[in-house]
Amino acid sequence: MSDTHGEKLEELLRSRRFEPASPDLAERIVLKAQSIPQNQPISLTQWMKQLFAEFHLPKPAYVLACTLILGFAVGFYRPLDTIPDDADNIHVQSFLYADEEPL
Amino acid sequence: MASGWAERDDHELLAHVQSGGHDAFGALVRRHTERFYRLAYRYVQHKETAEDIVQDAFLKLWEDPGKWRPERNSKFTTWFYRIVVNLCLDWRKKKRPVALDEERPLPDERETQDAAMIRAQEQKILEREIAALPERQRTALNLCFDQDLSNQEAADVMGLNLKALQSLIMRAKTTLKERMQAYL
Repeated sequence: MSDTHGEKLEELLRSRRFEPASPDLAERIVLKAQSIPQNQPISLTQWMKQLFAEFHLPKPAYVLACTLILGFAVGFYRPLDTIPDDADNIHVQSFLYADEEPL
Repeated sequence: MASGWAERDDHELLAHVQSGGHDAFGALVRRHTERFYRLAYRYVQHKETAEDIVQDAFLKLWEDPGKWRPERNSKFTTWFYRIVVNLCLDWRKKKRPVALDEERPLPDERETQDAAMIRAQEQKILEREIAALPERQRTALNLCFDQDLSNQEAADVMGLNLKALQSLIMRAKTTLKERMQAYL
């Protein structure tokens, strides 16, 4: 009896029905893959090349000239800002000494 | 040239896919879509969802073919079954399973209407009872009975030894026999 049940169950298990897939499923997958770029594994040297390529300047001479001009312009425009102000220094010093007194 | 791909084995095709070969990918997809769809369908019981899962699995392979390591995996299908099963389990965690549509029995023109109704009822009960089995027992049944894998292949897919797989199948069958006594 148990064997018959077992056989019937196996038969049922092997004959389970399913809704067939759309006939164009494989083609849809293939088409979709065409629009997706592949992540190719990259070596260390390739990675380094890509990294340097990120910093590539299309016209380095122009960039250098522009940077120099900008640097000079900023330097000439605010020359006095870099000179230390003595009055400020005195204030800071007295403040520091005042802080130390209670100790 | 395109016809040549169909004759190559999976490992060869995968090597081409890894170097960006879209034709090789196409051949691989055409060869295996049906079987992986069938497995996914067993889990989700819904055509469109099963198709989406199979599509996701293949597109993941296409996007990142480096995940396939021939030295680690003996067979492509064994490895890919695992991917499909994992996607199905993820899907089940996120969503409730879709019940079989009672109003739309799956057609089989060979049977008379009465026999078809009894059969449909049996199938429905069977699917319900299989769905109620623990995850691993269900996977073991799907791989061995539905995909016709040998016990050893199914054990490889599930990362088990042979005895553990046989035990899972035995427990699953015992449970099903008990629960489906009226139909056997």
